[in-house]
Amino acid sequence: MITLREVKKNYQAGETIVKALRGVSLDVDQGEFLSIAGPSGSGKTTLLNLIGCIDKADSGVIKIDKEDVDKLDKNELALFRRRKLGFVFQTFNLIPVLTAKENVAFALHLLNLSKNEIEERTMSLLKEVGLEGMEDRLPSRLSGGQQQRVAIARALVKKPAIVLADEPTANLDSDTGRAILELMEEMNKKHTTTFIFSTHDQMVMEFAHRLVQLHDGQITKDERRN
Amino acid sequence: MRFLISLAWKNLSRYRKRTIITASAIAVGIGIYIFFDAWLLGAELDSERNLIWYETSSIRIMDSQYWEEQERLPLDRVVENPEVVIKMVEEMNIPAVPRIRFGGEVIFYKDPYEQDGGVPVQFIAIDPERDDRVFPMKQTLESGKYLKSGKMEIMIGSWFAEDIGAEVGYPLTIVTRTRDGFFQTIDVEIAGIINCPNPMINNGTIFIPMDVANNYLQMEGGVTEMDMSLPLQADVEKTAQHIEERLEEKGINNLVAKTWKDLAQDYLAIAVQKRAGSNIMLLLVFIIAAVGVSNTMLMAIYERVRELGMMRALGMKDSQIRIAFILEAGGIGFIGSVAGTIFGSLIVYLFSTLGIDYSWIFKNMNVGYRLTGVMYTVWNPEVVITAFIVGIVISMLIAYIPTRRALKMQITDCLRNE
Ligand SMILES: Nc1ncnc2c1ncn2[C@@H]1O[C@H](COP(=O)(O)OP(=O)(O)O)[C@@H](O)[C@H]1O
Ligand SMILES: [Mg+2]
Repeated sequence: MITLREVKKNYQAGETIVKALRGVSLDVDQGEFLSIAGPSGSGKTTLLNLIGCIDKADSGVIKIDKEDVDKLDKNELALFRRRKLGFVFQTFNLIPVLTAKENVAFALHLLNLSKNEIEERTMSLLKEVGLEGMEDRLPSRLSGGQQQRVAIARALVKKPAIVLADEPTANLDSDTGRAILELMEEMNKKHTTTFIFSTHDQMVMEFAHRLVQLHDGQITKDERRN
Repeated sequence: MRFLISLAWKNLSRYRKRTIITASAIAVGIGIYIFFDAWLLGAELDSERNLIWYETSSIRIMDSQYWEEQERLPLDRVVENPEVVIKMVEEMNIPAVPRIRFGGEVIFYKDPYEQDGGVPVQFIAIDPERDDRVFPMKQTLESGKYLKSGKMEIMIGSWFAEDIGAEVGYPLTIVTRTRDGFFQTIDVEIAGIINCPNPMINNGTIFIPMDVANNYLQMEGGVTEMDMSLPLQADVEKTAQHIEERLEEKGINNLVAKTWKDLAQDYLAIAVQKRAGSNIMLLLVFIIAAVGVSNTMLMAIYERVRELGMMRALGMKDSQIRIAFILEAGGIGFIGSVAGTIFGSLIVYLFSTLGIDYSWIFKNMNVGYRLTGVMYTVWNPEVVITAFIVGIVISMLIAYIPTRRALKMQITDCLRNE
């Protein structure tokens, strides 16, 4: 499903070059519930950005769903992300002027689906993430946990192959974070969508079915647990 | 597309304060533009009318040599038998009157005047019996009487009267030359003072009865010009050409028929310059409105860089994002344009009935416009529509620049933006 081979990424920070990823190789199968763990600055975000096709590697090979994403141009990448990838962000990133329902529907509008189908899929997903009755609220009238639920619904509503979540619980208290992870786990089981989430939090790592440890831009540990 | 429009609309209503402030800037810009244009158009039309009614008439027939040398007001380049021509023109249903235009000086002495003095002026001899068929000078009489044939009397403009301290009944001496170039003096009395809306006339033209001038200048019935009046909207060029053709048919080929546009080239040149000048002012107004919009859009876009990053990550194409922001700016432009055209039209309407009194400007300053007193704005629907469309289009164009800059950022940088 996802194949990374010797992926390297450097950043130029003034005079110095930061080696964010120093040759990462990784294979992820369909339906995995995988956590990328590591301290701050270890390269988690960089790795997720590369898998998420919103950044380019300096070298190495990245294949997602058999697609050689290094070879796609800007517009092809946008279309690829639109169809195949879902994103959940640390800061939720909902559109503040749209209601919960409209935020979820946003992802489907990009796919040019019919009005009916958009309505149906949006409502059923909002129900699944436990936001029934709050569909018409603006983000400002939702708690952090509820906003992240909207974000998860937005990521899942288009039935993507992979959902990428960069520290999805870092802005939430631990109880709420736990609830979000439980929801993600449930969705992973139900939709067999691959979930990759990063964290530096021990509690969050506990949820992972597979834990990939990152340190200074290199994978130091890769273990499956059930 | 529908959802992009709805997104833009929601952003506009959500950030209401910002929308209103920016739209107001556009509205003021457009309102000023519309008012200014109506004001200029009013000034132009008024000015043209005053030029034609009191100064040039619609068409003037002269000797072709006179036309060449008119600067020096030559009395030896005259039309010898004006009545033949006048009759011919009047047969075409165009009122026509003869006039003699000549240069000279008026001399006045202490008592009744404040002090001795002399001023060079232009004289126009008119036939009191019929001059008002073409020139409505009679209606502008402020005090005293209109001219009468055979009387040694003159009529002067009120500003000129004020300048030299003259009143009705005061004597004046005219110093000029006859047709043959001999010096001649004419003692006259001021019969009437006119307040003519054309400042050129009001400032220093003296009217004298035709027969008096004919005698003293030894014109032997010759006149320097014949002036005719056409409706203001008439095609003067075509009529002038027509008149010349008719003259030729009659075997008269030393005369030319010139329109007011030929006669007032100086005025037209100034008018063109003025329009260019006011266009620059209008441009400034637009730049101010444009700066308002660009500032707002800049803020709107930089405030939302992370939102933009999210949208791009979710697979929204650059072109769609561009459209979204351009629609948002276009919405602000639309609101501003609607408010601006209403606001502008209201003040135009107000001043088209009330008028703007600015006699004080033209009395103390010669700005070339043939205007004196109250002036009315003139509604110009073409400009209102243009302003409306330009308001929207410019807003949209302005949004393009900051959007393009934001789209040049890496998606990852957008997402990290605080
Ligand atoms: N845009 C950037 N420019 C320069 N350095 C960067 C940039 N993004 C990340 N880095 C650096 O790369 C390293 C890895 O960063 P990151 O992938 O964000 O780690 P993590 O998400 O694990 O905290 C860090 O040292 C960070 O400072
Ligand atoms: Mg990070």
